[in-house]
Amino acid sequence: MTTQETPKACPAKEQPSACTAPPASADPAASAPKTSRRDFLKAGGMLSLSSLMGTAALMTQSDNAEAATEWAEHFQKNYRLMTDAEKAEARARLERRYSQEYGKQVTVDTTGPQPGVLMGYALNIRKCIGCRRCVHACVAENNQSRGTKPGEKIEWIQVLRMERGKFEQGKMDHGYPEGLGIQVGGNAYTPAGQVLEGQYHYTPEAVPEQDATYMPIACMQCEKPPCVKVCPVRTTYREADGPVVIDYNWCIGCRMCMGACPYWARRINLTSPVLPKEEMNPVTHYLGNRPRMRGVVEKCHWCLQRTRHNRYPACVEVCPVGARKFGNLLDPESEVSKILERKNVFRLKAELNTFPKFFYFYD
Amino acid sequence: MKKLAIYTLAAALLGSTLYAVSAAEKTAEPAQAAAPAEAAKEPPVCFESRKGASEVTQKEVKPGLPNVKCSPTTGAALWYGDPYDGTVPMGKMPGMEKLPEGHAVVKPRSEKLALMPMCGTACHNGVGPQFNPPTLPKGKKPAPIPTMEAMVPDLKDLQHGRGRIWCMDCHHLTQRNKLVDHFGDPISFDQPQLLCGKCHGDKLRDWRDGIHGKRIGEFTSTGKKRWFTCTECHNPHNVQDGARNRGFAQLQPEPPPQLPKGMKDAKHEKLHPIPH
Repeated sequence: MTTQETPKACPAKEQPSACTAPPASADPAASAPKTSRRDFLKAGGMLSLSSLMGTAALMTQSDNAEAATEWAEHFQKNYRLMTDAEKAEARARLERRYSQEYGKQVTVDTTGPQPGVLMGYALNIRKCIGCRRCVHACVAENNQSRGTKPGEKIEWIQVLRMERGKFEQGKMDHGYPEGLGIQVGGNAYTPAGQVLEGQYHYTPEAVPEQDATYMPIACMQCEKPPCVKVCPVRTTYREADGPVVIDYNWCIGCRMCMGACPYWARRINLTSPVLPKEEMNPVTHYLGNRPRMRGVVEKCHWCLQRTRHNRYPACVEVCPVGARKFGNLLDPESEVSKILERKNVFRLKAELNTFPKFFYFYD
Repeated sequence: MKKLAIYTLAAALLGSTLYAVSAAEKTAEPAQAAAPAEAAKEPPVCFESRKGASEVTQKEVKPGLPNVKCSPTTGAALWYGDPYDGTVPMGKMPGMEKLPEGHAVVKPRSEKLALMPMCGTACHNGVGPQFNPPTLPKGKKPAPIPTMEAMVPDLKDLQHGRGRIWCMDCHHLTQRNKLVDHFGDPISFDQPQLLCGKCHGDKLRDWRDGIHGKRIGEFTSTGKKRWFTCTECHNPHNVQDGARNRGFAQLQPEPPPQLPKGMKDAKHEKLHPIPH
């Protein structure tokens, strides 16, 4: 294919026919293709064939589980379009790969939505003490990246510390903007109550602090999720029992959903996830906490691997003050239904019409 | 003269400490001999809701699956592999008859209260040295009994009720290892909600419906759950935590999230866009 450019160096003995004089035309398009295009296609075909054969060989040997999985994953459909047989195949493939990679028996669950269940969540913001146990329980359960370099540490729950504002007689003349002689009267620009403006990196000796309130924020599992609307590959979608999930294999990492989410709930694996073998949770769900790859977006999915089997999410179970409540919205006896019936409830940023199934309440 | 006295005192102190150390070593030796493998690495014990109430000892439920994961920073329980570890059935609870038998479990508190079996036999056995049958003290303020104060320091200044209640409103008069209901009948220490509900009826109702307090296990309304009882989160002798006046005592928080790339600290968060 490259012989036409160096005719002088051509070994005449082996291929005399290829060592003709250089073509008169200097146009490469006119000169080169005569022999090279066909050769190129031929060689390309051979190359791809041989690579196919190689991968096939790897697959049958299944020595290198990762290579085998990657080959099969290339031709995998979007999870919602997969038949049950294809799901079972994908599951077996992933279980084999993860078990080999993490040195223990890993299960990848594909249980679908259970009939008669619409998951709902409620959080008592009066009770929350900001201890961040939910954040770390989530990491222990959901196989997030936990490295130390920038972007390697991923947490899905954020706990926002907000100042408790107060009104004082001494500030009556302090208006806004200050120093311009504009008298707006009073000090009503002091923060009071819940404003979404605060600190995530607070490190006091003990919580709750006297002058602070805490507000945990994670995915709200909206009924009209903006992230689903913008996804160009339709890999994130609302499951029939409520949670908004991601088929990680189809995520292209464009981060449109991260920009669309008004609750800062989504995270991207900018680096290859750091997940030590001994810390990996072997009970996983395909749409839930199975180990992610580099360049995909992830977020809270209400611990699908637990909740599809009637277990509370990990954050609910560790909350020391019992501020977190989870239940079936269709069951009038469930705790979340009782809270909606009896308590004062609000949705975060309700004006955006995202209709979250995550409710904040207070006694 | 003085110097000599000091020297002798120092020598005596040194001698006594040396003796104490050797004695401690002696007592430790047989224990080590009995369990050499365990002494090498103790399984971590983590506290669940509040410090000092209930604890879990880490162990393996299945190979590779621990019953609990503890926080390396604070020692708090961070993840439950087995939510029903060390629990017993809750027993009868009015208003919860709909639940299937055995679907409500609690962690028994009796075994945690190590002195409890002694209370009923040694001193509070109903047959006191001076009185028989027992008589109530004249004043309703908790009397400063040195032995009791040593065991429960909160008693010196009982906060619960702000001076409007006293010991015998909650503890049984003669069966000191029991609590007491409105009829004077004993209540088990494993079911403090029956006692607390005497006054805090609204909280009991919320707790029974799962709105107040904490439950772990299966989330469906008829599922098997471990119920956290009142005293697992609240200190009954000092519920309001003194001057703080909050129902839950302060805790050490878990570590904060990663700082944004290139940032050394999080001071930027404290800069308020609106001065106040």
